[in-house]
Amino acid sequence: MNFKILQFVTLAFSTLVILQASLGALLFTRLVGFTPHDVNLYYGDKSLHGLLEVILPHTLFISIALMAVLHFLAFIQTIDSRTKKRAIYLLFTLFFLDQLSPLFITLGLEFFAVIKIIAFVGFQIALLWVWILIFRETLKLTK
Amino acid sequence: MRSIVIGMLLSLILAMVLSLSAKAIDYGVSPNEWSATVLGNEAEFIDPMSFNDLLLGIHTDLFGLIITFILIASVTARRGRSRVVMIGFLTLSLLSLLTYPIGMLFSSMIGSSGVILSLGGFIVFHLLMIMGGLDSLIGLLRKKF
Repeated sequence: MNFKILQFVTLAFSTLVILQASLGALLFTRLVGFTPHDVNLYYGDKSLHGLLEVILPHTLFISIALMAVLHFLAFIQTIDSRTKKRAIYLLFTLFFLDQLSPLFITLGLEFFAVIKIIAFVGFQIALLWVWILIFRETLKLTK
Repeated sequence: MRSIVIGMLLSLILAMVLSLSAKAIDYGVSPNEWSATVLGNEAEFIDPMSFNDLLLGIHTDLFGLIITFILIASVTARRGRSRVVMIGFLTLSLLSLLTYPIGMLFSSMIGSSGVILSLGGFIVFHLLMIMGGLDSLIGLLRKKF
């Protein structure tokens, strides 16, 4: 494939995933806030039912989406198994921390506000990395 | 393995058709209806969509559409089509998918042109994914790859 076109396609895809992550971050900031104090205020006021309404669909759909994305990563033979394992453990760990932290915040463990922010940002970055990894290896097939 | 990918492609094609139908019901089918839903219309007493609702809608849509793109592009790349066809498919898909959120986000600044751009991008992307999916599906059914 022509190198300039390859660069353009990669740039377009990277822009897309960065845009998606930025939208997620912007939405989180507008709804919840940016500091651990805002996160504590937002989740501290929520009832368990309100919290479940957010956590349940996220847990269900993101786990299916992760399975779909990671199973494609597993099929790519040009990526070594250490990198694949790292991506899988990292994504699922951050995903569980991100989803479960609000529960601990409502139980009064305010420290989880910091973990929630780190897990949220980390999950977005890790998912971007995996998406770009899969796309980069897919592009090699069209050479 | 072949039957899993066939099932996945069928589901993704169905998802794309359903996504187009859902948008047609929510936003309408013409540029005017999309503009009225997003930007509001004083004459018809329609309130504009709030920025948070717009962000949430785009974020949710884009997540599903990026996953669909990755899955269909990964299968189509193995189809063995010519380089020009693959480059065209990937470039057009990505550009149309980028146009959808960017047009929506900037619609408050550039008005209905942004919404129309967004509508165009949305339709073109869905049609490309349906065509790419069908092409791979036919190839799989004929055991071409």
